[in-house]
Amino acid sequence: MLSRVANNLFWMDRYVERSYGLLNLIKTNFNSTLDSGDYSSWNNILSTYLGVDEFKQFENYNDSLSIIKFILFDPSNANTHLNMIIKARENARSVQEHISKELWLSVNKYYLHITNDGILEKFDDNDPINFVDDLLLFNHIYYSVADITQERGNAYCFMNLGKYLERVVQSIDFISVRADKMDLNNENIYESFFWKNLLASIGGYQLYLKKYKSIFSSENVLEMIVLNDNFPRSVRYSINKLYIHIERLYKFNGLTDNNLLFRIGKLKNQLNYTTIDNIKQEGIHNFLSFIQSELKDISYNINKTFFYQIQ
Amino acid sequence: MISNYTKYPNTWDEMFDDSGSIRNTYKNFESFLKRTPIETLLQMQDFSSQLFMDHGVTFRVYSDNKGVERIFPFDILPRIINESEWKIIDAGIKQRIKALNLFLKDAYHEQFIFKDGVIPHELLLNNKNFLREMMNLRVPNDVYTHISGVDLIRNNDGDFYVLEDNLRTPSGVSYMLENRQISRRLYPNLMPTSNVLPVDNYPEILYQQLKSLVDKEDPEIVLLTPGLYNSAYYEHAALARLMGIELVEGNDLVLDNHHVFMKTAGGLKKIDIIYRRIDDDYLDPLNFNSESVLGLAGIMESYRQGKVIIVNAPGTGIADDKAMYVYVPDMISYYLNEEPILKNIRTYQLSNPDERQYVYDNVEKMVIKETEGSGGYGMLMGNNATKSMIESYFKKVSKQPHKYIAQPILSLSSVPCIIDNELSPRCVDLRPFAISGANGIKVCPGGLSRVALKENSLVVNSSQGGGSKDTWVIKD
Repeated sequence: MLSRVANNLFWMDRYVERSYGLLNLIKTNFNSTLDSGDYSSWNNILSTYLGVDEFKQFENYNDSLSIIKFILFDPSNANTHLNMIIKARENARSVQEHISKELWLSVNKYYLHITNDGILEKFDDNDPINFVDDLLLFNHIYYSVADITQERGNAYCFMNLGKYLERVVQSIDFISVRADKMDLNNENIYESFFWKNLLASIGGYQLYLKKYKSIFSSENVLEMIVLNDNFPRSVRYSINKLYIHIERLYKFNGLTDNNLLFRIGKLKNQLNYTTIDNIKQEGIHNFLSFIQSELKDISYNINKTFFYQIQ
Repeated sequence: MISNYTKYPNTWDEMFDDSGSIRNTYKNFESFLKRTPIETLLQMQDFSSQLFMDHGVTFRVYSDNKGVERIFPFDILPRIINESEWKIIDAGIKQRIKALNLFLKDAYHEQFIFKDGVIPHELLLNNKNFLREMMNLRVPNDVYTHISGVDLIRNNDGDFYVLEDNLRTPSGVSYMLENRQISRRLYPNLMPTSNVLPVDNYPEILYQQLKSLVDKEDPEIVLLTPGLYNSAYYEHAALARLMGIELVEGNDLVLDNHHVFMKTAGGLKKIDIIYRRIDDDYLDPLNFNSESVLGLAGIMESYRQGKVIIVNAPGTGIADDKAMYVYVPDMISYYLNEEPILKNIRTYQLSNPDERQYVYDNVEKMVIKETEGSGGYGMLMGNNATKSMIESYFKKVSKQPHKYIAQPILSLSSVPCIIDNELSPRCVDLRPFAISGANGIKVCPGGLSRVALKENSLVVNSSQGGGSKDTWVIKD
């Protein structure tokens, strides 16, 4: 497979995954403003996701609507939902011969939906949650179609590299935002609000309730997001997936330089032998920066091993 | 609906004869039209546009610095040709492509046809598409023009004429394939009973022909595209997908010891054949346009050393420009000793003072074209031009008369299209595609029928308001 094609497949899935995270975050934050009346929380999303750093005053429901509209549709900000779907589709268009026809159709339909002339009026006329749910449906279709139609070759692996790398980066980012203030031994009610929202936005709320019942402690949440084996957005789960696909790619392409495989394997095993107590001992901050630096390294090595020739 | 159809005057209509009755070819289709209300046809029309959009069968147009994707307008009513007529076209195209190939070989080697005075030598030497790099180079199987598109029109005498040959990187074949796919969805009952000759094996034929150029079990064949922003990108991607070959860009390629490699996730992979969809000019910045970033520097040298095959061969542009067109019948008799099966349109050279005067005197019946122009640009249609337009055009001509030719305005045949909720005639041409290789020349039955969607217009180019139709060649 061409390096350029591999790179585009990787980014196609990264953009879809990122857009998925963004949509969920919009939903959760919108809900939380309805609860707390604290509209300033939009500033966090604007700065982490869209690189808008100036702090804005958001005061009411209408501000929420207009900021959601901005996050979804602003054409000039590269990180809006619209632009991510355009980029995902652009990548898909450039690799059409490598993805299943069904997958191409699903990305293209998403693109046509979001670039449709009447979409802004549709947003104005609808409940924002319903509107975002309609968009999320396209993400869900994308994942399902990829799952049942895409052959398990190079293309599938590169797509998964993009997907899981983006996912693990997001999960880590979510925790980091709060890590500074986090006190694992001293809980308060606001923390629990925050964690509930966080869990909801990454789809882990139900699983959490099943496992820990309705007791919200930072420690449990952290354990779930970082170490749970079965939670598809946990760090450990994503790293395991990254390992599987990198190993396959090594096999498919007969690669001999084991640097990348070695690094991802090492991280995988480290996580598999880490408990929440270890993290507490080490300090949440140290732990997160360790994972972040490992991810940076792995990401660099993915580039070097598979895409380096394009630079 | 059929009874309201008003034919163009003095024009051959593909569906109706002069007395207004349906031609035999269309009999089966007529019964479909008779039982189908216009509302259903309009729904089918919408359905087809949506399908093209959903499938991303689009090209990008630029307006206000913003790229917008459009579909190539598609009219759902097929253009139908019967097989006996097709056989003539098929034989005519094969004959023509055979002669043009022999001409290319001759022009880049001994140049007998010029030495024998059949074609003026300056037409070759002044030709900006002539590539010195191709001189005395033996190309595999002596095939230069592997993929050709021959534009045909039907005059009001009912005969097909060749409008022009496209021997460089003719496009449109993906629309031939897509249109047929859509027709199957549109006419689920009609298609199976209409005995339409298949076109879907075009990618297989193309692949076989490309493969025949090297003596190798599993050669590495790639399609070289200028990239995502090229207007024909959809076609490049579709052909690569249908043939199962890699779609590469210039940046994906590197040279090592004059071999061409592509950069893959598993390292470098050697390429045997490049089906390029970029023009000669952009192929190799070392030899041609030095600004080009689309091709690969040094690829011409690899080609000359026989380390890679480029398809179509560089330099085929000398054989398909409008000045050389005049001599194709002479090529056919010179190389093949045969009468041309397909007619040329009478063409006047404006460098010849007598012919120029004749064109000037009869300008209202003439179309004047630049020999190096294409896409319907730079033309003067004498019947629609004002006096001052004609004068200023001739002023331009007189500066470089050898760059212009004139032809009588032919009436392109018309086909019924759905326009403003009713059947209305529109002019149509036909571009069949021929593929040459070690297995001879193959022509796909049918091709791309392009229609001029503007009323009374003769310009079928997609950039100027043209659309397309599916072309059915049906067994007699």
